[in-house]
Amino acid sequence: MSITEPPRAVAEAESSAFLTPPTPEVLNRDRALNVAGSAWLFLAPFLLVFAVFVLYPLGKSLVLAMQQTYGPGATEWVGLDNFANLLRDDLFRLAVRNTVVYTLGSMFIQLPLALGLAMLLNRPSLRGRGIYRLAFFSPQLMGLVFAAMLAALVFEKRAGLLNQALHWLVGFDLDFPWLQTHIMWTLILTSLWMYVGYNMVFFLAALQNIDKSLEEAASVDGAGPLGRFWNVTVPSIRPVASVVVLLSLIGSLQLFELPWIMLQSTPGPGNRGLTVVMYLYQKGFETGDLGYASAIGWLLAVMLIGLALVQLWIVRREDRP
Amino acid sequence: MIRSLASSLNAALSPGAKVIASLALVGGAITLLWPIERAPGLELWMFSPAHREMYRSTLETWGDSPEREPVEVSVFGIPALERRLMGGIFSGVDMADLVEVERAIVGPAFRGPVEAVGFVDLTDRLESEGLLDEINRPSFGPWSTRGRIFGLPHDVHPVLLGYRADLIEAAGIDLSTVETWDEFGAALRPMIRDTDGDGEIDHWPLAFWPTHEDNIEVLLLQGGGGLFDADGRLIMDSDRNAVLIAEMVSWCVGPDRWCVDVDEFTNASNSQKIEGYSLAALMPDWMCNIWKEQIPQLSGKVKLMPLPAFEPGGRRTSVRGGSMLAITRSAEDVDEAWTFAKELYLSDELARTLYTSTDIVTPIKRHWDDPIFDEPDPYFMGQAKGRMFIELAPEIPARTSSPYFRAARLELRNAANELYEWGRDNGVYTSVELLSKAQEILAARTDLIRRDVERNVFIPREPDTGESGGDGEGT
Repeated sequence: MSITEPPRAVAEAESSAFLTPPTPEVLNRDRALNVAGSAWLFLAPFLLVFAVFVLYPLGKSLVLAMQQTYGPGATEWVGLDNFANLLRDDLFRLAVRNTVVYTLGSMFIQLPLALGLAMLLNRPSLRGRGIYRLAFFSPQLMGLVFAAMLAALVFEKRAGLLNQALHWLVGFDLDFPWLQTHIMWTLILTSLWMYVGYNMVFFLAALQNIDKSLEEAASVDGAGPLGRFWNVTVPSIRPVASVVVLLSLIGSLQLFELPWIMLQSTPGPGNRGLTVVMYLYQKGFETGDLGYASAIGWLLAVMLIGLALVQLWIVRREDRP
Repeated sequence: MIRSLASSLNAALSPGAKVIASLALVGGAITLLWPIERAPGLELWMFSPAHREMYRSTLETWGDSPEREPVEVSVFGIPALERRLMGGIFSGVDMADLVEVERAIVGPAFRGPVEAVGFVDLTDRLESEGLLDEINRPSFGPWSTRGRIFGLPHDVHPVLLGYRADLIEAAGIDLSTVETWDEFGAALRPMIRDTDGDGEIDHWPLAFWPTHEDNIEVLLLQGGGGLFDADGRLIMDSDRNAVLIAEMVSWCVGPDRWCVDVDEFTNASNSQKIEGYSLAALMPDWMCNIWKEQIPQLSGKVKLMPLPAFEPGGRRTSVRGGSMLAITRSAEDVDEAWTFAKELYLSDELARTLYTSTDIVTPIKRHWDDPIFDEPDPYFMGQAKGRMFIELAPEIPARTSSPYFRAARLELRNAANELYEWGRDNGVYTSVELLSKAQEILAARTDLIRRDVERNVFIPREPDTGESGGDGEGT
């Protein structure tokens, strides 16, 4: 017997194992392994991309936020100094204040207007509803950059369409400085033009899904228009409204392109159009202070997460029976 | 575990899927491990298609020589070039061998330790080859930091005053005797009036406003102020700057103002210039070409003169903008890149083309005698515009580069605008009355930048000697 041949007992055992059907435990184990292996296999491309393009940059940016750097050859660890300086930074505070003002404008002017417009355009009796809907939504079709360029022309001093029109109508000051002194109002007005129609579409979809019988029942019970609005419409559109609020919140806090283009790549006179993301851009790309810019990015992320959690908490609390 | 995973994979994948997965793995590995070879020759990044046209002949001559490697030129928009440049410097990835960049975007490149700046230090080469004397010295300023020079200047960009001679001379006003800004404002005051009876003023002497950061800097430099001194220290809150800002704001505020807010590059502002709404503008050499292209209606109606000074006997010019050619640290053959840079920037032909196609005067002093600069320019009513710029070129104020340049310039603009609004709201209109407020505002605005400067661990802070302000001579 050569040493390469298996002993008879082993060969018989293997042969019998081959012929014997596997037990249910073995089958379950193999199936579980198969499922787990397949799952990891199919998840692998996403995980790889997620790790390379999200997790690694996220971790790297956190490290960067604790450094001052000038390329690979010149990096200094500064710990939490960037964050500490940021909290003492007057320009950062101004950027946060401006961003909050814009966000409040978005939330308390834009969204109620969008809802009102949606309710108006949801009336079956209104003729030409489709055309109005398209007209209000159409600024979205242009894209933000083009809209911002147009808005900059509209709000220009002296030659701008708005001042010219108001001057012709009511003798308004041709040199009224929209883009010099009243920047936040100009941005809020422009964003109304851009986003009221966009948010209107979400509200319109929600309004069209309201159960008509609920409204009819409320009417039968003697509820007036206001009562029906608070007791039927608002609860029915709350899930959509909460998504719209969250998206508006995130979009507003990330405000950058609109003022950047309208103010010709500056924060405007007196930094009146300076936003958090614009400040991040200035520090990171105009001054080359990547560590400080990363710290701004992390603080912004914390603000966004915090506000999203607060909003989620409010929605859940109100949904509780 | 691995064996079970392998058997699971074996069971889960069909033969076709196995082939695809194998190909993906092999392809990925090859892509990852394949060495990226740089194309032979030099690579040049630049931002101006017009410059590329100007360089075409030199590039062809260079490429024809058998012992030289070809040069590949890529033109990007300024923001795209800025991203690539900063990406290269901050992440260490390869850049082109040479880059031609504009002053406004180069600041961050000088943020690090001087020995790690992303460009090759050219100081010793310039000195040993006598180029520091051959090239207009102040033109090195924007490309210098901490006493070292990192670029060859492309231009000088002196500033003159362009004015509507057709309207002003028709009104019987002679500007040839005007020496100071006060005299200029006074001379043109009779033209500030409503000529068509619509209740609006139709002519204003100067297009200048406290929101125009470029022009504020131009006048600040002219008057001997500045943002940074020769050593790169922030001097935005100097007493001289306060005096100059108060003076400039006094031109724009109150019932006796004589400046107007007219933009420089918009269609609407071009119409206003054609109508004579603003009668004069600060005019660097490159702006002449922009006016010719964008406002041809003003051909034969505009004249140039030296800037009026802030005080009698003061400087009659300033400087605005600028480009340079730098060799990056990615360059494999620095000597070859340097040879090419000199051939490109120092040639007689480029000096002439630069002027004939863009109205820009060369910083190479030996070319200044070229008769081309004496030719009359019909757009400027036959004036020898080139000679006028060249005569003032050696007098342009010195500038230094700083990573905080853009931020400082914006805060300077904010200071001027804040002072303007304070003066307007409080009925304070004269420069003397505005001065103390100007000092206060400048100090506060400077503090915003100083905090950034002081946080920079790479630029050593020298003890403050207490001297600030003034017109530091650059390298």
